[in-house]
Amino acid sequence: MAKKNPQFEKLVETPLEFVKEGNQFLQKCKKPSKQEYLKIIQAVGIGFVAVGVIGYIIKLIHIPIRYLIV
Amino acid sequence: MAGCMFSAPKFRLIDLAKPFLAFVPEIELPYDNLPFDDKIVFTLTTALIYLFGQFPLAAIAKGSVSVKDPIFFLRGVFAAEPRTLLEFGIFPPIATALILQLLAGFKLIKVNFSQRKDRELFQTLIKIVSIATYAVLANIFIASGYYGEDLSLVAKLLINAQLIGAGFFVTLLIEVIDKGHGFASGAMAIVAISLSTGLVDDLFGIQQIPIDQDGNKEPRGAIINLIQGFRAKHKTLLGAIVNAFQRDYLPNLTTGLLVVVLGGVVCYLQNVRNELSIKSTKVRGMVNVYPIRLLYTGGLSILFSYCVLFYVHILGFVVIQLIGGNKEGSIINTLMGGYESTEFFYLARFPLSLLTPPTSFFALLQQPLTLFTFTAFLIITGVWFATNWQEISGSSSRDVAKQFKEQGVTLAHHREESKDLIKIIPVASATGAAALAVLVAAGELLGLKGKGAGIAVAISSAFAILEVVTVDFQQNGGQSSIAQMLGGRPA
Repeated sequence: MAKKNPQFEKLVETPLEFVKEGNQFLQKCKKPSKQEYLKIIQAVGIGFVAVGVIGYIIKLIHIPIRYLIV
Repeated sequence: MAGCMFSAPKFRLIDLAKPFLAFVPEIELPYDNLPFDDKIVFTLTTALIYLFGQFPLAAIAKGSVSVKDPIFFLRGVFAAEPRTLLEFGIFPPIATALILQLLAGFKLIKVNFSQRKDRELFQTLIKIVSIATYAVLANIFIASGYYGEDLSLVAKLLINAQLIGAGFFVTLLIEVIDKGHGFASGAMAIVAISLSTGLVDDLFGIQQIPIDQDGNKEPRGAIINLIQGFRAKHKTLLGAIVNAFQRDYLPNLTTGLLVVVLGGVVCYLQNVRNELSIKSTKVRGMVNVYPIRLLYTGGLSILFSYCVLFYVHILGFVVIQLIGGNKEGSIINTLMGGYESTEFFYLARFPLSLLTPPTSFFALLQQPLTLFTFTAFLIITGVWFATNWQEISGSSSRDVAKQFKEQGVTLAHHREESKDLIKIIPVASATGAAALAVLVAAGELLGLKGKGAGIAVAISSAFAILEVVTVDFQQNGGQSSIAQMLGGRPA
């Protein structure tokens, strides 16, 4: 048991330390402000939908093709 | 790799690719930097060609087969569509590239990246292994009976040709963008576009799909379904609203909204950063910021976790279906749990269910252990990957410190920048990977069937692409007619 103890301690300590370090890092981080965030969401949303619509048109073309093949 | 030690002294794994160099086609590097517009067009078209490639497989059994889809929850991340040419999506190229690069980073594969010859060999090796993975997967699925129980030899060969041919094509398609004809990486562009298409389809899809014997039809898109539900004759108003939120045979509003919310959170995480103030050593008073993002490795950690998950589940599928035949009461099924067959999916039982996200929140209650095992799996693999990846991918603290030195900047208020960076970058990437893993696990455990992980990878890919696009636009987007068309705003 005496031999195992430090190993066991390490097993418990590593995740704890990880959480502690991560928390410290997160606290130092700069988070996007509300305005900034809304702007990002808007840009990404528009981009995502625009690209999605283009992709969807391709998918629509597929429907008649599938009818022809299958 | 251990074999290298006692075979010929100079043998290296990448030399295996040598005989293939001559006939595995390679995308040529562009002669010089392509114009901004060309790159946009290349990136978009490549991804669209991929989408267009989702042709249904020929020569497979018509109607339903007893062997169902065992990897349905892994498809979203890899843009894989069942029973089409893109059955395995971009899993083989992604998994091969990630794993071989990790092995090279750990020096388990000896590659001298400063030599052109070695780089070529390494690339070819990735390509061959990727195509071989397609071949192996195709034959596992054929042999398992997924495409039909008694296929003729011709049919088997045909399916092989289709899947491997498509895989070969996809591998090259990704290379087109990776080699600098487009922005960022090919896999990222494909995941982003296929996920956004899927989202648009799930929310606004207008395709009418028959849902019962009476010939009633419902649209695929959840929002369209809600609107159409108000006018449908076979539903009451309240019934229509309830149905729009919780139908399970087609996309519903609940999962749609969940995916959108998840995407929003990833957007937020993507913009959490630690800004180190840096100052120039040459010009006095020049102070700037160098951001270290929380998601330092982006969505790659999730991709890696899902690659591992894919291998685990394929292995399970091979043992249970291929070797054991998924027979009730057989030894293999008692040990490995076997599969429960539903209309479309194969649901794994304990113990494989520990790493299978439930199909709905209620299914989670039947497998409560999954909550812990699946989350832990994502966190551990993700953090492990992120920690190692930042070390070997050329963006480790040492690399950044070197970059600082070359550009003549130092951290303000710190004397030993490399020490500080050494502390901060691994912590950032590990914390980011853990945060993303928790987020994805939460989404998946609510029953998103792969869409949660998919949207996380897609959004972070979109950001990665956007970043490269912005930089390129600032450098040589001056004559871009696409930008002018869109109103002259910077992308």
